[in-house]
Amino acid sequence: MPKSLLLISRQAPWSGPSAREALDIVLAGGAFDLPIGLLFLDDGVLQLLAAQDARAVQQKDLSANLQALPLFGVEQLFVCADSAAERGVAPDTLALDDVNVLDAAQIAALIDRYDQVITL
Amino acid sequence: MSTLHVLSHSPFGDSRFASCLRIFGEHDALLLCGDATYALRPGTAPFETLLGRGLKLFVLAEDVQARALQAPDWAKAIDYPAFVELSIEHDKVNTWL
Amino acid sequence: MAAVSLTGSVMKFAIALFSAAHAPSSRRALLFAQAALAGGHEIVRLFFYQDGVYNAGASIVTPQDEQDLPREWRTFVSDHQLDGVVCIAAALRRGVLNDEEAQRYQRSAASVEAPWALSGLGQLHDAIQDADRLICFGGA
Repeated sequence: MPKSLLLISRQAPWSGPSAREALDIVLAGGAFDLPIGLLFLDDGVLQLLAAQDARAVQQKDLSANLQALPLFGVEQLFVCADSAAERGVAPDTLALDDVNVLDAAQIAALIDRYDQVITL
Repeated sequence: MSTLHVLSHSPFGDSRFASCLRIFGEHDALLLCGDATYALRPGTAPFETLLGRGLKLFVLAEDVQARALQAPDWAKAIDYPAFVELSIEHDKVNTWL
Repeated sequence: MAAVSLTGSVMKFAIALFSAAHAPSSRRALLFAQAALAGGHEIVRLFFYQDGVYNAGASIVTPQDEQDLPREWRTFVSDHQLDGVVCIAAALRRGVLNDEEAQRYQRSAASVEAPWALSGLGQLHDAIQDADRLICFGGA
C-alpha cells in the first residue's frame, strides 16, 4: 500500500513560485500513481478563481496544470471554506469541478487521514 | 492520529499562526521555532491565544534564548534530540513552510 | 557514539529543505539531520526543493567569521554517505546548474558539484514512500 500525501497549497497563484511548485509535487506524485490529495488553504483558494489571465502579468498559467489533475489521477481536491469566505470566493464559482469544501474540523480530520503532509 | 505542527514565522503580520490553530487537531502538538517563538511575548494576542488553548506546546530552546524570551511553564523548551523524538512520537510532521 | 533513541527503534527520515542557505530554517534542517543520525536513525534522502537548491551551490562565498552552511551540508552528506538530491527543475529556474546542465544550456558556470545530484521530484516521492517520517524545513 503506497503512502498517501496531502499537499496544502497556501499561496496565491503568482505570489512567487510556491503555487506552481506545490502543483508540480502533486502532478509528479500523480504521474507515479501515488495517492495524493490537494487542499487549497488561505491565499491558495485564489488559485481557483475563474477567468484569470496569467499572460497579463507574464506569469505561468496554472489553470492548465489544475485542469490536468484528474488526468494525473489526482481527484482528492479540497478547499477551506473559511479561507474562501474570507476572500470572497464562492465555492460554486471555482474554476475546478469536484472540489470538496471543508470546514476547520473537517480539515483537521483530513490531515489525520493522510500518511504525510507538505504545507507550501 | 496526531500531527506535530511546526511554525517558524513571526505570528505578527503572518497568517500561518492563526491558520494552524484553526485546523489544529485535538491530539496534535505545536512546535514554535525561529521567529514563531515571538508568540511567547507576554501580553500579546498570540501569547493569550496559546495560554487559552491549552494545547501541547513545545518551543525550540535556542530560539527562545536568542530572543531573550521566557518559556512559560505551559510550554516545554526542547533541543534538537528532543525535536527528533517528538517527530517520532507523532504520526506526521506538518511544517508550515 | 550515537545515543539510543528513547523510542527504541530506528526510524527512517526523509528530509526536504525549501529555503536558501541564509535562512534560519536551513540551519535548523542541518541540526535536525545531525541529531537524527546521532540518535541512531537513518536519513533515506535529503531533498532540496524551491530555494533549498541554493544550499547545494558551490559558488556561495561566506565570510570567515560566519557559518558556511553549503560547506557544512557537503561535509555532512559526504561524511555519512547520504543521498543528497537537488530538484533539477527548481535548480534550473534558479540558476543552480551542474556541469552537464551548464553545457546543455550553454551557461558559463556550473555551481553544483558532488556530492549533490540533480534529479526530479520522483526522488522526493520515492523518499516519502521509503521513509517513516517526512520532515520539511523552510519558510523562515
